[in-house]
Amino acid sequence: MGTENPGRPGFPARPASSPFAAAPQTATPFSSTGAVAGSDPPPFRPTAMPPPPQAPSPFSSSGPPVRPGVPGFRPAPTGTFNDPSLPPPQPPIANAPPAAGTFQRFPPPPFSSSAQAPLQQRAPFVGQPSIQQSASQPPSFPEPPQPQTPFVQMGPPPQSTSPAPMGSNVPTPTYQPSFPGYARMQQPPPVHSSFPPNQGNYGPPPAAASSPFLPHQGGYAPSPAMAAPLGMQPPGSGPPIGGIQGLTEDFNSLTVQTRPGTMDPLFDAKELPRPLDGDVEPKNLDDMYPMNCHPRYLRLTTSAVPSSQSLASRWHLPLGAVVCPLAEPPEGEELSVVSFAPASVVRCRRCRTYVNPYMTFTEAGRKFRCNVCTLLNDVPSEYYAQLDATGKRVDLDQRPELTKGTVEFVAPAEYMVRPPMPPVYFFLIDVSISAVRSGMIQIVAETIKSCLDELPGFPRTQIGFATFDSTIHFYNMKSSLTQPQMLVVSDLDDVFVPLPDDLLVNLSESRSVVESFLDNLPSMFQDNVNVESAFGPALKAVFMVMSQLGGKLLIFQNTLPSLGVGRLKLRGDDSRVYGTDKEHVLRLPEDPFYKQMAAEFSKFQISTNVYAFSDKYTDIASLGTLAKYTAGQVYYYPAFQSAIHGEKLRHELRRDLTRETAWEAVMRIRCAKGVRFTTYHGNFMLRSTDLLALPAVDCDKAFAMQLSLEETLLTTQTMYFQVALLYTASCGERRIRVHTMAVPVVTDLGEMYRLADTGAVVSLFSRLAIEKTLSQKLEDARSTVQLRIVKALKEYRNLYAVQHRLANRMIYPESLKFLMLYGLALCRSMALRGGFGDVPLDERCAAGHTMMVLPIKRLLKLLYPSLIRLDEYLLKVDLKSIERRLPLTMESLDSRGLYIYDDGFRFILWFGKGASPEIAKNLLGEDFAAELSKAALSEHDNEMSRGLVRVLEKFRNSDRAYYQLCYLVRQGEQPREGFLLLTNLVEDQMGGNNGYSDWMLQISRQVQQ
Amino acid sequence: MGWKLFFWLVICFPTSIALLATTFYQVLILSDLESDYINPFDASSRINYFVLPEYIVQGALCVLCLFTGHWLMFFLTLPVTCYHIMRYVKREHLIDVTEVFRGLNAERKFRLAKLVMYLILLIVVIFRLTLIGIYYLGIETDDDPGSFW
Repeated sequence: MGTENPGRPGFPARPASSPFAAAPQTATPFSSTGAVAGSDPPPFRPTAMPPPPQAPSPFSSSGPPVRPGVPGFRPAPTGTFNDPSLPPPQPPIANAPPAAGTFQRFPPPPFSSSAQAPLQQRAPFVGQPSIQQSASQPPSFPEPPQPQTPFVQMGPPPQSTSPAPMGSNVPTPTYQPSFPGYARMQQPPPVHSSFPPNQGNYGPPPAAASSPFLPHQGGYAPSPAMAAPLGMQPPGSGPPIGGIQGLTEDFNSLTVQTRPGTMDPLFDAKELPRPLDGDVEPKNLDDMYPMNCHPRYLRLTTSAVPSSQSLASRWHLPLGAVVCPLAEPPEGEELSVVSFAPASVVRCRRCRTYVNPYMTFTEAGRKFRCNVCTLLNDVPSEYYAQLDATGKRVDLDQRPELTKGTVEFVAPAEYMVRPPMPPVYFFLIDVSISAVRSGMIQIVAETIKSCLDELPGFPRTQIGFATFDSTIHFYNMKSSLTQPQMLVVSDLDDVFVPLPDDLLVNLSESRSVVESFLDNLPSMFQDNVNVESAFGPALKAVFMVMSQLGGKLLIFQNTLPSLGVGRLKLRGDDSRVYGTDKEHVLRLPEDPFYKQMAAEFSKFQISTNVYAFSDKYTDIASLGTLAKYTAGQVYYYPAFQSAIHGEKLRHELRRDLTRETAWEAVMRIRCAKGVRFTTYHGNFMLRSTDLLALPAVDCDKAFAMQLSLEETLLTTQTMYFQVALLYTASCGERRIRVHTMAVPVVTDLGEMYRLADTGAVVSLFSRLAIEKTLSQKLEDARSTVQLRIVKALKEYRNLYAVQHRLANRMIYPESLKFLMLYGLALCRSMALRGGFGDVPLDERCAAGHTMMVLPIKRLLKLLYPSLIRLDEYLLKVDLKSIERRLPLTMESLDSRGLYIYDDGFRFILWFGKGASPEIAKNLLGEDFAAELSKAALSEHDNEMSRGLVRVLEKFRNSDRAYYQLCYLVRQGEQPREGFLLLTNLVEDQMGGNNGYSDWMLQISRQVQQ
Repeated sequence: MGWKLFFWLVICFPTSIALLATTFYQVLILSDLESDYINPFDASSRINYFVLPEYIVQGALCVLCLFTGHWLMFFLTLPVTCYHIMRYVKREHLIDVTEVFRGLNAERKFRLAKLVMYLILLIVVIFRLTLIGIYYLGIETDDDPGSFW
């Protein structure tokens, strides 16, 4: 005590800190305190002194000292938890200190008992660690060194290390009370007044104290402490460790430094967070809701639904979900297909929710309660099973729909409006002169022919072809013919279809005719000199052929439509339009014809994939509309040359034809009352307010949606989401794929941030931004992205600004640490980047269309591609180097190295200037010194070349949705290096674009305004 | 006098009733669409069928009022006419079947507002008709009914 006394005058202030410190200590495992301890200012210890005794106790748990110490710890808990510590309250004696670290000191004068004194002396040593919290304390203390540390990854160790805190959570609710209390205590005067009462409560008589305390102490030991609260807490409500750590630091932070010599603030580039591990699927609900569907199917932007509209309005990021209903399960994992025949699918009578693991069976198994609307339904007699003693159905293990989040039901006849359609593929191929010259026809014909055996749905598959230039050509492929018969329609104003029955034929019956057609197709038109394109009329004609059945229409388009309806003009070469209010019109379909056709297609279950090849302007904005509303996809190969791009087209067309496809599908996402999905983003057409019509859908398509709260307050603890996709499988069976997910409803904004999912947020962000470019300027779309990030971080900062010293620091939640970088990457992506000169209009539109369908993982890779050093691996110097992704900045590129840049759509091999000629020679062959734009990468007969081919193969196999062509570029080879690689190094400043640290600085400035 | 009666009874009265009816019908269809009683294809084709006729009739009425010097009627119809012209120029006058749900609420609000405007119009017309009727029946002898306005 004696030592402390001098400090006392200052105490009033301290007290605040100590209570605070005490609370965190109890809650947070010691390790956390330990971590922080280093940064703690010594001056604090005195305050700690009261706790010190305690501190030792938890650690050492030594009997006698423990007692006094213990009280110190409890203070926080007692207030909050009402735990065992309560018993002690009666005798108001020397123990006052226990009340809270704070109080102890005050008491000293009055209370100073001999026992305490010794303890306190110790305190300085032990107590220090606990004090970390001081940051929030009043100024009376010397400034804590903390802020100065450059990059403080404050994220408390415990938190970050335990990824699945949910299970073991300490409920925030419990802690919350402590906050207000804490606030009060901070002010010295109140503290004093309150002190006496506290004393009364807490101060156990020294003698008596020992017994009660000991048990107590146990309770406080880090882990036990957590357990206790757990018990009290209702499952699901628990804002876990996060809550506790809110008392320490629950966030990551970056400190703004000053550039030496100048006053410009900056961030240390090395400390900026980078997603070098790619996309990480959220796992934090696994413990809490183990029966949820896998995140590859459904991801929420935050796995915590806000309980009130006011809370939702403080969440400035998008609130919604990204669904990829047919995502490919990893090898060996099969979906369970459940058939209820002869009964119908078991669903809730009122809300139509499908049976799922969260439905509870009651009344001896005769009824089940719907988890979504809580209606008590009768169990159909065919589905009845008894309940065992624990209330579970006895047949639970044979019922995958009651144990798994993802199942497939076989749909009975009432789910069909017509007999299930066979898979239908129709090819509409441009045969004008530019198409012939590019070699596209040849490759398309070859690829289709090679895929005939793998088309899904044998033997029901139907196939048809049409070609067009200034006229439309149909092909009669009746099985009785030996050679296909060509029928030419030249009347473009009044299109009709000759022989409507024989143009679309069964593949297995007409196989030989189809094959001979594909063999002849390239030669048929090799001398064609027609430069016109009657695309619009051809589209109408094909629609007439396909409208009977629906199916998939693949359009191969090489010349801007110039005849008949749907003629398009050259546009987009006028740079003056950019930056004006008319700019967005360039990205909209020019002719309403395409929207009308798209609507018709969707109505008749036709899905359109557009392959565009032209080296000139082809108006992807208009053509892409066809894909946009029919759940299709746009593939764009600018300036297609079969020698260069042939392989890419071959792989992607093959993938398109052979991947598992769901036909004539509709999708709906249901959720419990109080929440409603309001907007949908992706390629589909809305059939009613919440029903997505998807004429054909496959594993490479994802859909995003935003939700809003309809009621001001949600009373439930858990929110359920169920995605149901009703479709016709290629085998002709009608199926329903159901994904169910349960997430907690929370009352705390911090919790929403903790459970946020960067991938889903970024995916929604990019879709919203791209949609925005269709109605506004690019600039506006970019600034909206930035603004929303700023708003979100500002709100987050406000959560913590009161308790922590945040000057000169930028704070952000651990879960969203990459959000800023992805936001920057999004603004610099092909779809949003720059202005007129930066990206050709067609490529911009194609990129936009592509990003609208990409699943999360692929989108994140496109936004922040991987950059890997290869030469060390190829030379076998460092075999691990191939797994190490590097930051996307020039500084990562060593001029002696060979690097590969992989964004999921292409590879770029970068040869450093100083790389050994050996490497280039081995990889490129003898002409390695030639210009790389003309060099092609092929396998040479040496170990290194084979190694490279193996590596590329491995990268390609990791994601087969697109084929990555390999581009070679040498350092300093301008302008090729510039547009291939340098503009894509998103962390570097380039032209008018921000670099990463400038971007962070900008954001942090705006956040602190 | 005959012209006046003709104008109010044969032109304005049926026109405003027709405008009111089509707008009401469109609102009805939009509500049906929202509650999924009708699919977007039918809904938009039904609404679009009436859009241009409505614009033309409404515009004609407005112009007619201008040229015949019925200032009150003119100013009552003017805002809607301007709105129609604006939509037409921006090519937003037809419902876009592919995006119908996105703009559903706005479309309905606009139409409800229009409904109110047309209703006011109708009330004015009926009032004028009544005045004319009174005049013709000789209940009110001296004044020209137009002078009230």
